[in-house]
Amino acid sequence: MTVRDDELKAGLGRFLSARWKATTTVEAVSRIPGGASRETWKCVAAVGDERRGVIVRIDPETSLIDTDRATEYRAIEAAWKSGLPAPEPLFLEHELEWIGRPFSITTEITGCQSSPDGIPLDHREALGRRKWRLLGQIARLEPLALGLGDVMPATSVETCAMEQLDYWAKVIADDEIHPNPVAEAAIRWLRRHPPPPAQKLSLVHGDYRTGNFLYTPDGDIKAILDWEMAHIGDPLEDLAWSLDPLWCWSEPERAGRLLPHGEAIALWEEGSGLRADATALRWWQVFASVKGIGIWISSSEDFQNGAAKAPILALAGWLMTDRQQRILVDYLSPNSGHKFYEVAA
Amino acid sequence: MIPGGSAGVDSLAARILIDLIPKATDAYTMADLGMLAGLVRMVGQDFDRAAEVLTSDLEGTRAIFREAEPHIVDDNLKRRMAEVVASRPESLAIPVLNAHADIAMRVLIDLQATVENAADAGADWAAALDRRIWAFLDEYVAKRAYDSAF
Repeated sequence: MTVRDDELKAGLGRFLSARWKATTTVEAVSRIPGGASRETWKCVAAVGDERRGVIVRIDPETSLIDTDRATEYRAIEAAWKSGLPAPEPLFLEHELEWIGRPFSITTEITGCQSSPDGIPLDHREALGRRKWRLLGQIARLEPLALGLGDVMPATSVETCAMEQLDYWAKVIADDEIHPNPVAEAAIRWLRRHPPPPAQKLSLVHGDYRTGNFLYTPDGDIKAILDWEMAHIGDPLEDLAWSLDPLWCWSEPERAGRLLPHGEAIALWEEGSGLRADATALRWWQVFASVKGIGIWISSSEDFQNGAAKAPILALAGWLMTDRQQRILVDYLSPNSGHKFYEVAA
Repeated sequence: MIPGGSAGVDSLAARILIDLIPKATDAYTMADLGMLAGLVRMVGQDFDRAAEVLTSDLEGTRAIFREAEPHIVDDNLKRRMAEVVASRPESLAIPVLNAHADIAMRVLIDLQATVENAADAGADWAAALDRRIWAFLDEYVAKRAYDSAF
C-alpha cells in the first residue's frame, strides 16, 4: 500500500505551509519508479506565484533496506554542505501527523535522469571520469568533523571491515529463506583473509553505483542520490561496491558500464589522494558481493513475509541473488575461469 | 497443469510487455509492469527445472558426504551427513524437495568449514575435498542461473 495522491497533496500542503510560513498548495505528485528502500515522490509546491519542485522520500511499510531516515538525511546534508553534487536538503519530519508516515524533503534537480540505460555512448567515459573523481572526493570527507558521529556508529581503522562483515553476515543469517552455501563460503573466506587496516575513516556512501546519481545528457553528474546506507568506514568499501560486476552485467569489462576498471581505480586514487591497495581492495570486492547477497536476501524475505508485494523486492531477491552468487564463485572457486574483473592481489 | 510449461508462462509475460505496458498511464506503473513481466519469465524457467535442480542438489551432496565420511571425526557432523545420505524425499513436490535440500545444504556448509580447517592444518585429503565442494557450488550456481533481459 502506498500513500495516496490526494492524502499526500493535502498533508504536504499543510506541512509546507507550516514550515515555510506561507500558504502552500501541492499541485502535482507522481511516484518515481526504482526506489526500493523508500517511496520517492516528485511534487510541485505552489507558494503564491512561485512553483517549487521538491522530492519527498517517505518511509515504507516494508523496504529493501532497513535504515534510519536521519542517517540518510544527515549524509545528504553533509555532502551538500561539502560542495558535492547532492540535492539540497529541506526538511526531515519524524511525526506521523502530516501524511501518516515519516518523510524527508529535498529540492528537485531538473533536466536529469538516473537510468544506466539512458547514458549516451558518446558521454559515458566523461561520466565515468566524473563519477570516480567524485567518489574520491567523498573519500576525502571527514565524517566526525561533519558532525555525523551522532547518527552513525563509531568505528576504527582496525575494526571497520570486520564490523561491516559481521553486520551483513547477521542480515543473511536472520533473513535467509533457504541456506546459502556460496555466501557462507565467502563469509568464511573473508574472516580467514582479513584486510589491512583502513588508510583512514571516511564517509562511506554505501550504494555508490551507476543508477544512483542524476546526470545530464552531456555527461555531467548533478546529484548523488540514495545515501540510506551511508556510514563511517573504509573508503575502499565504496570503491569496491562501485566496481561490482553486478553494475556492469552486460559489459563486464566496463566498471559501471562506463570505464575500464583500471581507469576507474586510477581516477579514484587521484580524487581521494589514497592508494587502492590490491590486497585490501580484493577483500572489499568479495565483501561487496556478500553485502549484495545480504540486501537481496532481505528483499526476498520482505517480499515473501512482509506486507508489501512490490515487484522490485522480488526482482532484487530472485535475480540479483542469482547473479551475485555467480560473481562469488567466479571470485573464489578454484575452478573459476575468472570472467569478472578482479584486482591483482 | 499449464500446457507447455515455461512456454505457457512466457506467453503471459509477452502479454504484459506487448499489450499492457503501452496502456500504462504513468512511469511507475510502466516500470512495475516491466518488472512483473521479467519475474513471470523467471517463474517459467523455474517451473521447468525446479524439481531437477533440487534432486540434483540432493544427489550431489550425498556423493560428497559419502566421500568425506572416512575423514570426519566430529560425530555430530558424521551423523548428520549419514542422515542426508540415507534420506529420500517422500514426494517430488517442490516444498518437500526444498525441505530436504535445505537440510543437506546446512550440513554441506558445516562440512566445508570443517574441511577448510583441516586443509589449513595440512591434511592432504582436505584440499581435494574442498575443490570437490567448490565444483558442486559452481554447478549449484550455474543450474540456478536465470536467463533475463534485466
